[in-house]
Amino acid sequence: MSRPVYLDHAATTPVDPRVAAAMAKCLTAEGAFGNPASASHAFGDAAAALVETARAQVAASVGAVPQEVVWTSGATEANNLAIFGVAEYYGESGRHIVTARTEHKAVLDPCRELERRGWRVTYLAPDGGGLIQPEQVAAALQADTVLVSIMHVNNEIGVIQDIARIAGICARQGSARLHVDAAQSAGKCPIDFANLGVDLMSLSAHKVYGPKGVGALLVSRGGMRESVQLRARQFGGGQERGLRAGTVATHQVVGMGMAFELARAALQSEAERVAPLRERLWQGLAALGGALRNGDAQHSVPHLLNVSFEGVEGESLLAAVRGRLAVSTGSACTSALREASYVLRALGRDDVLSESSLRFGLGRTTCERDVDDAVAVVAQAVSRLRRLSGA
Amino acid sequence: MNYNEVTLEYFENTPAAGVLLGPGTLRGAAGDRAHGAWVQFDLRVDAGIVQAARFLAFGCPHTIAVAAWVAEHAPGGELRPALPESVAHLSERFAVPVEKRGRLLIIEDAWLACVRCGNH
Repeated sequence: MSRPVYLDHAATTPVDPRVAAAMAKCLTAEGAFGNPASASHAFGDAAAALVETARAQVAASVGAVPQEVVWTSGATEANNLAIFGVAEYYGESGRHIVTARTEHKAVLDPCRELERRGWRVTYLAPDGGGLIQPEQVAAALQADTVLVSIMHVNNEIGVIQDIARIAGICARQGSARLHVDAAQSAGKCPIDFANLGVDLMSLSAHKVYGPKGVGALLVSRGGMRESVQLRARQFGGGQERGLRAGTVATHQVVGMGMAFELARAALQSEAERVAPLRERLWQGLAALGGALRNGDAQHSVPHLLNVSFEGVEGESLLAAVRGRLAVSTGSACTSALREASYVLRALGRDDVLSESSLRFGLGRTTCERDVDDAVAVVAQAVSRLRRLSGA
Repeated sequence: MNYNEVTLEYFENTPAAGVLLGPGTLRGAAGDRAHGAWVQFDLRVDAGIVQAARFLAFGCPHTIAVAAWVAEHAPGGELRPALPESVAHLSERFAVPVEKRGRLLIIEDAWLACVRCGNH
């Protein structure tokens, strides 16, 4: 039986073979297996050199300097370090945070935990296209706001927020630090960390053909404003300038470094290749009728398409396509019952439409045939389910 | 979500899907699409015996599969205010998670609405 068409690249990507080969060289006795913190011998030096090369690769890919890269286990840890790190360091001067209802759970859950600890959090509502207007951020800022956390590219609908304008607003307010979850934007749209005016940015390797289990938090060293400070959350060796203790996994960061370098080099050509494929996909799905595109199409990355289908139930839709198509649904399995996507509900979709959505994530291997196959699979499933429901 | 074999079989093949028209046809429905589950049964009855059954359903694979099974097994039985198999047995046969047992009650309600239609 042939494998399903993989259109879930927004969830994760396969490791690029070049990345995998570079990682493998760090694992065995013949390779750079040493502890990068072991400065007393050549094995450690070799690993440390690779770690610093990777740090430079990641930094160069997003317009940062190497000293601003703090390795983490992924974007979730980076988000936690940013949010709790700022909250705890600046807690004496303010206890208010601004974020958006459409953020990833890796931002929302830390914010909710801080609320339980007495912090106040303002959750901004997006417009119908999923965009947060910078003026909303300005209006939400208070004298004691110490953190604004707004993602760059939304993981469900792909819309790109106007981070530069939001950063300007935060800078004018003075005390509010800006954290940006960029897990979905790296490799999909240009990032210029130095000029955006962002204080903290979370990155992930496995969304850009790197390995799972590694990411980074970019911590601005200043430039346009006073450098941001963080309270560490993990102790035990002083690695990563004391912000993230623990032996750095050489193979993981080497993989991330190469993946980011490759993604940056291919960014423009991939965007130009994938954008027409996404439109082909959308046109094919729209022809079914009762297909609603989620998210502002004018302000989105070219790799992602989210569509709700009228007249079908979400769990059945996913079950009907899953043998031939790997996509994500607009609902989360919190138990046997599914929960409608909070992102789509924030855009104003009702529960049924939020649940009956599919997220298509296109990637480097996606071709016209994949797109046409996906349209055929979804068309068959939607038509059948609509007939079954008398819609 | 994982489904057992019988659920997958009836979800994918949906025997007895559709509607019945004409004299002697009873129709009953329950649930609400806006709340995620809706089921309709059509029964053709002669001398108190179900001759033919069809269903329509909007809902999860368990809802569709159980409704299909009920419609397939109804013909030949007496028209009575009970499903061809109890909700408890259907729940076991289709390995319906406890959180979704309410969907089976919607199927039962649709059946009962059909029977009430016949009694009137």
